[in-house]
Amino acid sequence: MRLNLYEDKKNTDERVDIYYTNMRPVIKQLIDTVNSERPSLKGRPADEDEDDGEEILLDPKDIYYLDHIDRKLFAYTRNGVFRLMNTLASCEDMLWNYGFVRVSKSNLINIFKIKQLKPDLNMKVYASFDNGERICINRSYKKSFNEYLQRMRRMS
Amino acid sequence: MLDRLKQYIVEVCCVYALLSVAGAVINQIWGYETNNINVIVMFVLCLIGTFVLYLHKLFDRFSPLFMIIVQYLAACGLSALFIWIMSLFFGPVSAYNWFEFWRSFTIPYVILAALYYWRVFSEAKKQDKLIREIQDRSRESI
Repeated sequence: MRLNLYEDKKNTDERVDIYYTNMRPVIKQLIDTVNSERPSLKGRPADEDEDDGEEILLDPKDIYYLDHIDRKLFAYTRNGVFRLMNTLASCEDMLWNYGFVRVSKSNLINIFKIKQLKPDLNMKVYASFDNGERICINRSYKKSFNEYLQRMRRMS
Repeated sequence: MLDRLKQYIVEVCCVYALLSVAGAVINQIWGYETNNINVIVMFVLCLIGTFVLYLHKLFDRFSPLFMIIVQYLAACGLSALFIWIMSLFFGPVSAYNWFEFWRSFTIPYVILAALYYWRVFSEAKKQDKLIREIQDRSRESI
């Protein structure tokens, strides 16, 4: 995608024009950014106490997956694990455009971070990430996971 | 609950219809004959088998392989119990007939389990390919 930037000190009407062939996730992300609706996920390092740690702004692109354990939500990135104050359902609504899909009651995974999707001998299907971790894709979510992939392919 | 019951009845009807047709074809080809008791037994076995397989949602936490084995043992056990109860009214079941029952239950089950196993692997492969495609397209579009 080509990016043109024009600086005009006299311009009083700042604007962004997007020319696109189809409305795909990356275009929607640009629109979110322009409209200041880009999802902001603030997290504290999981190994620190709830109120002590400094809040860090997380980029959805850096997150491998979200895990809901004991009513707490954690985001797993290359740099560590962060505790989020959002709910899993709100993250699902907010991040579907960024490649996040629900694969079990407690997990949202980022399909752009998946290294391989492979079933085990016991027939459980796992999504492996490049950080070496893997998440099981629950059978109940298999259909919606497949529909999500089809939709993302159509949009991309 | 009512919806589940309706769905269960529909599935029983489908399974029974398929087995009846398959049984009729086999009987016609091999010249076997059936009787009313066999028809009733087949229907009750359909009820048991469909009910046990219908409980697959309870096994979501476990691996499909574990689910298949447990469901096989449960369905086989319940069916054997039913045949044993029937034998109290209609006379004893010989060792050969028990073996026949086990074989006619196990062979289709193993074939269907193998098909399911193959489907899980082939679907995962397709989804992996799809993910790769989405990732490539996303990289190209940036």
